[in-house]
Amino acid sequence: MSEASIVGLLAATVSFGALLYLAALGELIAEKAGVLNLGVEGMMAIGAVAAFMGALETGNPWLALLIGMLAGALAASVHGLFTVVLGAEQVVSGLSLTILGLGFAAYLGKNVTGRPPGAELEPVDWGALTEIRWVGPVLFGQAPFVYFAVAAGFGIWFLLSRTRVGLAIRAAGESASTADAAGHSVVALRLGSVAAGGALAGASGSYLTLTITPQWAEGITAGRGWIAVALVIFGAWRPGRAAIGSVLFGGLLALKTRLQTFGVDLSPILLSMMPYLLTITVLIVISIRARNRPSPAPAALGTAYRREER
Amino acid sequence: MKRPVLVRRESPIRGGQPLSFAVGLVVALLIGAVLLIGAGHEPLRVYQRMFEKSLSNADAWSLTLNRAVPLGLAGLAVAVAGSMGLWNIGAEGQILAGAMGAAWVARIGDTWPGPMLITVMLLVAFMAGGALALIPALARSQIGVNEIITTLMLNEIALRLIQWLIHGPWKDPDSYNFPLTPMLPDQARLPSLFGRAHLGVVIAGAVIVVFGIAASRTTWGYELRVARSSADTARYAGISLRRKILTVLLLSGAIAGLAGGVELSGTADRLTEGISNGFGYAGIIVAALALLRPSGVAVVALLFGAVQVGGQSIQIIGVPASVSTILQAFILFGAIAAGVFARYSVRFVATGAGSDERGVSG
Repeated sequence: MSEASIVGLLAATVSFGALLYLAALGELIAEKAGVLNLGVEGMMAIGAVAAFMGALETGNPWLALLIGMLAGALAASVHGLFTVVLGAEQVVSGLSLTILGLGFAAYLGKNVTGRPPGAELEPVDWGALTEIRWVGPVLFGQAPFVYFAVAAGFGIWFLLSRTRVGLAIRAAGESASTADAAGHSVVALRLGSVAAGGALAGASGSYLTLTITPQWAEGITAGRGWIAVALVIFGAWRPGRAAIGSVLFGGLLALKTRLQTFGVDLSPILLSMMPYLLTITVLIVISIRARNRPSPAPAALGTAYRREER
Repeated sequence: MKRPVLVRRESPIRGGQPLSFAVGLVVALLIGAVLLIGAGHEPLRVYQRMFEKSLSNADAWSLTLNRAVPLGLAGLAVAVAGSMGLWNIGAEGQILAGAMGAAWVARIGDTWPGPMLITVMLLVAFMAGGALALIPALARSQIGVNEIITTLMLNEIALRLIQWLIHGPWKDPDSYNFPLTPMLPDQARLPSLFGRAHLGVVIAGAVIVVFGIAASRTTWGYELRVARSSADTARYAGISLRRKILTVLLLSGAIAGLAGGVELSGTADRLTEGISNGFGYAGIIVAALALLRPSGVAVVALLFGAVQVGGQSIQIIGVPASVSTILQAFILFGAIAAGVFARYSVRFVATGAGSDERGVSG
């Protein structure tokens, strides 16, 4: 087990962790506002193909990222429109968004499959910092997405726990009628949170096609959207804990392709079950502990809000 | 300035659901037409071909019926859980579990006579689907763990399990290192009815009818409805909610598992990781469009079967397969929107109006 292979594993852990964290943060803010969005996988696929095509059209990777995020937000707004405005079942609408998003991404990307990228977001050059042994390649040799994910994590933590808007968002997710009575527009708060979440899922998808792969192929999201859904629960709806979970699950993804290098005799396929098994375990532990303390899940999660007409 | 709000109708429009469904279909076809034109195809010709290949003659119908089998059973599985107000998002994984169970029987019983082999395969598939639902069912009924996420996570776990079997223990030694399982023995195949249609059509139809009768005509079904409408009433009537939740989720998983067994025995040559093809997720849309009613599930499953078979037939003329996926999602979104307008009407009110007049958009 050489130093290079360990550094490679750690760097990939941070990279995959950021990929998952971006999408998980998007799901977190939507769920905090009371909207379960099971369309993450579809929004990531839409963001991925939009960013890739944006890069081909414009040649500018930052513009491509913006296009990917806008596409993700637009896809999420479909879910927002149906669940928040029209009061449709969140589970059904979200899963349909996944099906629609995967289908739409495949349709849009048909002619660009396998094409070389128009632009890429390359790792940031931190100069001397990148040269530091161990720390340099792992923390400073990363693509802009990693630093973006860290900033987004702090930003959403600050927004939710330190601002009035954040308080209103949480109120919409805990008790919509209370938020309404306090003079907030539940519809606006929820729509905004869902769209912002979609933009983050779009950013996560863009990371795939602008840096990690960087190409478009059908099925590129490979179930990572479901891991993002799992991470929100694993992290007990907190940005900080979700970050820890992201690094852990990112490490599992990174380890998957390196098992043989480290001489571990375990099927990588079985290893990739771990995030889902851990999440089920955490859910059960939360429920057992909820007998003594309140559950961390937003109380109004998954329920439509309709102010009754007189 | 005026803005639109939704106001509940005094009584919903009659026949709202079939009407919404039809509207959804039309909306989906219109959006599909735009996509087809965008890809350089003539929508009418494409739709005509889809119709011809899925519904125009006995051969086409046999393909559509075969497709409707896993869709209908998965839809029924979701509807069974829904009869207690529960969501089984895990039909996809349970279908895979059922297929794995049936494939295991075919491996150990390849010398058994056909009828016995097929019967055991389907029984084991039924039990395997239920077994995958056991953890969510116990967790929900005993300690109140939300079943949506646990069933969803198990889909990914079942997918990894089937991949592991195909790449590892069940790989065909004669497959030149390709990750392929051996072909199923001939006597493991379901007998055919007509054209390409197999006996699974009858099995699925029978299961749907039996559940439909059980839900509407028996004490068991009555208790389910009581438990769904009010947990307090159910408790007062001496109905054990825990046991109801447990049995309903297990039954739901088992029906999805049966779909996996029927699909393997009816249409597949061998066990593959693509055996479910998203039937479990499509089943949720089927159940939602059918408003969780067994008879509705059968009708919607047939239509989705036709859309999927038609969608495959147009790939030959260069239309992306994704068009049929997109159509299915838009049928649902269109029907949801239409369903809202069957129950609500749009009024325009001045923005300055008092909060009590703002209706649902407030």
